[in-house]
Amino acid sequence: MMKRFLAYLSLCFCILSATAWDRKGVSVSGSIQSDMLVPRHDTGTGAEKTGSFLSNTYADLMLQSKYIDAGARFEFLEYPLPGFEPDFDGWGVPNLWMKGKLGKVELTLGSFYEQFGSGFILRTYEERSLGIDNSLFGGRIAVKPVKGVTLKALSGVQRRYWDWNKSLVSGADAEVSLDEFIPSLQQSGTGIMLGGSWVNKYEKSDEQIYITPVYRLRFPKFVNAWDVRAAFNRGPWNVLCEYAQKEADPSFDNGYIYRKGSAVMLSGSYSGKGLSVLLQAKRSENMSFKSTTDVAKSIGISSTINHLPAFTQDQTYTLAALYPYATQLADGEWAYQAEIGYNFKKKTLLGGRYGMNVKANLSYVRAIDRQFFDTDDPIVQTNGYTSKFFKWGDETYYRSFDITLSRKLSKAFKLNLMYMNQQYNQFAVEKHGSTIHANIFIADGKYQFSSKVTLRGELQYLTTKQDKGDWAYGMLELSLAPHWMITVSDTWNCGETNLHYYQGLVTCNIGQHRIQGGYGRTRAGYNCSGGVCRYVPASTGFTLSYNYSF
Amino acid sequence: MFRRHTLYIMSVLGCLCMMLAGCDHLSEDERLIYEKPEPAKRVVLLEDFTGQMCTNCPKATDVIGQLKQTYGDDLVAVSIHGGPLGFAGNARFIGLATETGDEYYNHWELAYQPIGLVNRHGESNYPEWAAAVKEEMSKTAPLLLNGEASVEDEAIVVNISAEGTDGNVEGKLQVWLLEDGIKAIQKMPDGTVNQDYIHNHVLRTAVNGTWGEAFSIKEGEERQHKMTVALEPGWNRENLSIVAFVYNDQGVQQAAKFDVKL
Repeated sequence: MMKRFLAYLSLCFCILSATAWDRKGVSVSGSIQSDMLVPRHDTGTGAEKTGSFLSNTYADLMLQSKYIDAGARFEFLEYPLPGFEPDFDGWGVPNLWMKGKLGKVELTLGSFYEQFGSGFILRTYEERSLGIDNSLFGGRIAVKPVKGVTLKALSGVQRRYWDWNKSLVSGADAEVSLDEFIPSLQQSGTGIMLGGSWVNKYEKSDEQIYITPVYRLRFPKFVNAWDVRAAFNRGPWNVLCEYAQKEADPSFDNGYIYRKGSAVMLSGSYSGKGLSVLLQAKRSENMSFKSTTDVAKSIGISSTINHLPAFTQDQTYTLAALYPYATQLADGEWAYQAEIGYNFKKKTLLGGRYGMNVKANLSYVRAIDRQFFDTDDPIVQTNGYTSKFFKWGDETYYRSFDITLSRKLSKAFKLNLMYMNQQYNQFAVEKHGSTIHANIFIADGKYQFSSKVTLRGELQYLTTKQDKGDWAYGMLELSLAPHWMITVSDTWNCGETNLHYYQGLVTCNIGQHRIQGGYGRTRAGYNCSGGVCRYVPASTGFTLSYNYSF
Repeated sequence: MFRRHTLYIMSVLGCLCMMLAGCDHLSEDERLIYEKPEPAKRVVLLEDFTGQMCTNCPKATDVIGQLKQTYGDDLVAVSIHGGPLGFAGNARFIGLATETGDEYYNHWELAYQPIGLVNRHGESNYPEWAAAVKEEMSKTAPLLLNGEASVEDEAIVVNISAEGTDGNVEGKLQVWLLEDGIKAIQKMPDGTVNQDYIHNHVLRTAVNGTWGEAFSIKEGEERQHKMTVALEPGWNRENLSIVAFVYNDQGVQQAAKFDVKL
C-alpha cells in the first residue's frame, strides 16, 4: 500500500516540482550509500549463510530553491544485512517531502524528522546502522515570528519499515530566548532559553488485550505528553534542566499499566581554556512511548516516538564498545555522568614538548525504586507500582570509569592510552547473562612516515571473569594519502572460545566516491547508538561498501 | 503588516493545538472491561513456543495457567521447546528442546520466544492469547475427536476416533505425546535460574510423524486411527498424555487431549 501510494505521490511531486521552480535557482544534491555482504557459512563463529548477496542500499535526492525544497529517498533493503527486524526488508521510496519557505514560515509536507528539546517526548530520526527510521509522514510548520522565538506544530503518522502505524502523532513546541528581549542579559553575555512541548498520540486501538481471561483492557484513545525546559549559558558555563511527563499509556513494554511516565534531567557544563567539565543526572520511569499498541509492531526498536539519551559514553574502540549500555525506557533508571577534560600546555612538566590531553568519564546507571502492588485485584494491578523519587532500586545497570591520555611524543608519533573499568548488567540490557566486571586497556599509536604515508595501530585487552572471559584486539591501518587505506584487524576471544574475528579492508577515496572492500568475520553482539541497541548475529564473508555524495 | 501575520500564524497554531489536543483520562474503574468467558463450541489448541533459556517464557506460561482455569479441558496447551532459546540438555541439567520443536519453530518462521499459535491462525504474542482463544472458542468445529491411550509392552497404544459433524473435512491428523510435571531448569523474568521449575504440557514427540498423516471425514462418518509409540527412558509414564488434532490450511479443525493409562 505504502509503495503504491508513494509512487503516485512521487508523480505528483515531480509535476509540481517542475512547475514550481525557477530552473536557474535550483540546486541538486544527494547521496548514495550501499553496504553489501556475500555471506559464508562459518562453523567456527556459527555464522549462517543467510543468502547469496545481501545489501542495504539508500539513495537520497534533494532539490533546493529559494522558496521550495524537496527530497526523496530510495531504499533497497529486499535482502538486508543480518540482524534487522523481520519487517525491515523491502524496497521503494518510503520518504518523500516538500518544504515551502516563506519569510519566517517554513511548511513541510511529506516525511520529516523532528526533535523537541532533548527528545524526551518526541524524537524522530534516522540511524541506518540500527535500522531506525521513525520519521513522521504528514505536515510540519515552523515559525520564527520574532528573533528569539521559534514555534513548531506538526501532525503525522509514523513510519514503521514499509508501512505507517495507524495512530496520529501530533505536537507543538515553543522556544523563547529571553536574552533577545532583555538587553541587560545580552549585554552581560547571558543566554536564557525557555521551552515547552506537547505531543499527543491518537489511536483507536483494535488490539484485544486481556490481563485475565475475563478482563479486557480499555486503551486510552489519546495519550498526551508534555515537556518543559530551561537552558542557561554564560561564558563557559551551560546549564540545562528539563522535565517531561507522559499520561497513562498501557503498553507491552510497561506490562499494560496506567501509571504516568516521567523524565527529569539536569545537565551542567563548563568549557574554558584547556578545561572542560560535564555533570549530568537523569531520572526516568515508564517513558517507553510507542506509536502503536499492536504487540508485534511494538516489540523491538521500531515505532518509538521519543528518545532518552544514554548517560554513558558512546565508545569507539572495539573492546570498550563490547558491552554497550541501552537506556531502560520502560523500567526507568537513575543515570549520572561526570566528565572532565584537561589540556596540559606545551613545554610544561606534564605537557612535554607537544602538550597532552587527559579525559576522564564516570557513568553510573541504577534502577529506580519500584514497589509493585502485591494483589490479585486486576484493577489495582493496572496501577503498576509506587516509586519514591530519590530512592534507588536494587540493581546497578551500568557503571564505568575511563581515562584517556592523548600525547604527541614526537613530530611524527602520537599516542593515545586508555583504561576503562566497567560493570555491565547484561541481563538488564540483553535479557540473558549476569553482571560483568571488566577492565579494558587500550593503546592507540599513529606514526606519520611522510605527508602521504601514515600507519596507525591499536592494541586492546579486555579482562573479565564473566561471560566469555578475556578478549584481545589488534589493528593496523596504513593510510596512503590521498586515496588509499589498508586495514587489518583481529578480535580474539582468548578467554573461552579461542575464536579469531579477523578482518581485512581496503578503502579507496576518489573525489566524492568512497569504496571499501574486504573479507572478515563479525562477532555476534550488540550494535548501539545513543543508548539504542540492535542485536547483530555473527557473520562471515566478503563486504563491499560504496558511498557517494554530490 | 508583520504583526498581523504573526498574530494570524500564532492563532492558527493555537487552534491546531486545541483541535488536536485530546483528553482521554480513564479512571481506575474504566480501565478494564469485564467479558464473560466464551461458551466453548470446540476444543482450542494453543501451541506455546518456549525455551528454558527464555526469560519471558514463564510469563507466557502464567497466561496459559489463567486460560486453563477459565476454559478447562476446552483448551489444549502444548509447550514446544526449541528454537534459539531452547535447551537440549547436558550431563548436569535436563533439557526439553527437541529436534521436532526446532523444526516447528523454523517452519512457522518465528523470530522470537515466547510466541504462540492459536489453532494455527498465525503467530500470536502471549498478551494476545486470551483474545485469540476466546474467538476460537466461539467457532463450531466440523468434527468430534476422542481417544484413549494405554501402555502395552513398553509402548503406548493410541486409538483415535473421529466423527464428522458438519460438512467434509480434508487435512491431516496429528498426534503428539506430552508430559506434565517435569522438574527442570528455567530462566526466570528477573534473570535468576529456577532449578526446580515445573514444566507442564511439554511436547515429547510426534507420534505419527512431524506433520501427521492424511485425514478426511464426511459429515455423519466415523473413523478410527490406531498408532503406537515406544516409551523412552527419561519419560515419566505416570504423567504422559496424548494430544490429537486435525488441521488443514484453514487452521486446526478440532483437538482432543487424554491421559495415557498405565
